[in-house]
Amino acid sequence: MKIPRPSVLACLLLSASAAFAAGGRTITIGVIAKSQSNPVFQAARVGAEEAARDLGARLHADIRIDWRTPNDEDAQKQAQAVEQLVLAGADGIAVSCSDANKLTDAINAAVDHGVPVATFDSDAPASRRFVTFGIDDEKCGEVIMATLVKTMNGRGVVAILAGSQNAPNLQKRMRGAVAEAARHPGITIRGVYYHKETPQDAAAKVEQVMEANPDINGWAMVAAACLFTDNALPWQPGAVKCVAMDALPPELAYLRSGQVQVLYAQQCYQWGYRSVELLVDRILLDRSPASVKEVSPLIRVDPSNVDAFARNWDVWLRK
Amino acid sequence: MTPRRLTPVLRLQECGIIAVILVLGILLTWFGGTVRAPVFERGADGARHRVYETGADGARVPAFAVRNKFLNAQNLAQLAKDTSFIAIMAVGSALVIISGGIDLSVGSLYALASVLGALVLRHLGPEGSGAAHHGWQGILLAAAACLGAAAACRAINGALIVVLRVHPFVVTLGSMAILRGLAFVITSGQSVGGFPDGLRALVRFQAGDGLTVIPLAAMVLATVAGWIFLGRLAAGRRAYAVGGNEQAARFSGIRVARVKLLVYTLSGLSAGVAAFLAIGYYGAASSGDGQGYELSVIAAAVVGGASLSGGRGSALGVVLGALVIQMIGSGIVLLGIDQNYSQIVLGSVVIAAVVLDNLNTWLARRQFLK
Repeated sequence: MKIPRPSVLACLLLSASAAFAAGGRTITIGVIAKSQSNPVFQAARVGAEEAARDLGARLHADIRIDWRTPNDEDAQKQAQAVEQLVLAGADGIAVSCSDANKLTDAINAAVDHGVPVATFDSDAPASRRFVTFGIDDEKCGEVIMATLVKTMNGRGVVAILAGSQNAPNLQKRMRGAVAEAARHPGITIRGVYYHKETPQDAAAKVEQVMEANPDINGWAMVAAACLFTDNALPWQPGAVKCVAMDALPPELAYLRSGQVQVLYAQQCYQWGYRSVELLVDRILLDRSPASVKEVSPLIRVDPSNVDAFARNWDVWLRK
Repeated sequence: MTPRRLTPVLRLQECGIIAVILVLGILLTWFGGTVRAPVFERGADGARHRVYETGADGARVPAFAVRNKFLNAQNLAQLAKDTSFIAIMAVGSALVIISGGIDLSVGSLYALASVLGALVLRHLGPEGSGAAHHGWQGILLAAAACLGAAAACRAINGALIVVLRVHPFVVTLGSMAILRGLAFVITSGQSVGGFPDGLRALVRFQAGDGLTVIPLAAMVLATVAGWIFLGRLAAGRRAYAVGGNEQAARFSGIRVARVKLLVYTLSGLSAGVAAFLAIGYYGAASSGDGQGYELSVIAAAVVGGASLSGGRGSALGVVLGALVIQMIGSGIVLLGIDQNYSQIVLGSVVIAAVVLDNLNTWLARRQFLK
């Protein structure tokens, strides 16, 4: 007896799933973030879905969000997702580009097909996207280092935690931080440390670096994945100064414990919310933003406003 | 066709997977629904232009046509293009798997070959210092860098496996980190773009309604080359023999080391081809490229009927396996299924494929013993 070749299961799974796919829609907006595993993009997803709900109610439209984010960062998969969304009839696309060069042609092709594209968090400047929403990464690196230098009274040995080497936005932040440190003669940079962008890998890297360099007394974390997990910092509160990027719920505990002095929050919920808002304005109301670059300001979170800021997450993560 | 002529076709090893593809296609056509797509036409200059029509109020409005989401020329062309990069690599990796080896570093090799090719291309591109000196020779040089580096890296892997007798799992696992590290050191983590327009125009050239000819042609050529190698050349038959029973192959006079070295080198070559096509199509490369492609490539090989214990598999089956995997991914998008489930579906397909494969082997053995 010969068993038919594999993938029969795939048919069954697809046919079962197809039953859920029915339903009418007026507008579909494809949202492509960098990776599923990064919690900031989960907040962006909630933002996008809530924008769709709010704007749908306000404009009497049925707005659907089609979330097409690769599991790990992969610009090629993002470009394919843009192409697939266009073919699947998306009315607009919001994308955070893992590699601007690779996304440019796909974005331009979508625009040629009459699908407006907005970028958030990480831009593709050479493309014909009609708007980009996000922070100024180089400036962000400068701000983090400047704040750290201030908390260290202008003297000390610092390390920079820079996340993945392959992320252009993190590279920009790192360059901004290094440039800012160079303006302070009392500051020595012990090193720039990269890691795979998971909390465990980041925490292991910090521990490893501190073990090898006990003289480090300041950390500028331009990517702070290590703070997404508990007990990641191997120092007593105040022994080492630390200023870090983002202010996700797990990071706030470090602020409260005094192991981190200041956090700079990106408006990750707004990445989704504002991108959808801009796209719906464009699609339904034929309105374009005043400027192609819409800078979202960083929010400083320190012990004085940590509790107030924490309450935002109840909304952003639908608690 | 007479029944006698039909017999070889029906005996085709890949019949089952072709049936699966057809069923998937029918399901996606049926459940995918329709989409309002803008209408384009080719102008006198050969470029595509939007078609406009006059609306009820006399205004000029863009024309749209309603078509099936899955069963339309553009979507099928996109599916073929997306399949091609993984399928080309999978044909090479299948040779390794058939010979009883495993290749865990195909994604990293793809990244290294991509960035090397991209650096040569950037040098020759509009902003590069070599732009004035090279035309098509420059592109060939970049292709040679891409393919040569990939084949050489994989030949070194093969040499380590046969000379030092290190398990392929360990060698390719180590290479996975080394090759990606090299790609990072070479590029400092930056994306490399700015290629000559000629290459991009060639690789992105579309015939008919969006059919990207070059990646598709390369996939067909890779399949034919794999089929000839495995089915018609003595070297291919030896790969089956080594994968089926290495000891027996050695005692029957087959130079096992030579066979392994050859299949690893060919596997590298296929990764180089895929990398070169991808940089031509996407216009950039970075050291982060190809992460997780190991799973896709091995999954394509396994779903396509290659046995992880060696000795079984075919080039056509592997390409069809890559197509099934791409159809599943594409189907998830077309059906609007939450993408969180995509990995679960892919993983389930791979496990189901291996279980069916084992069951098949067990049944065949039982039948043989009878």
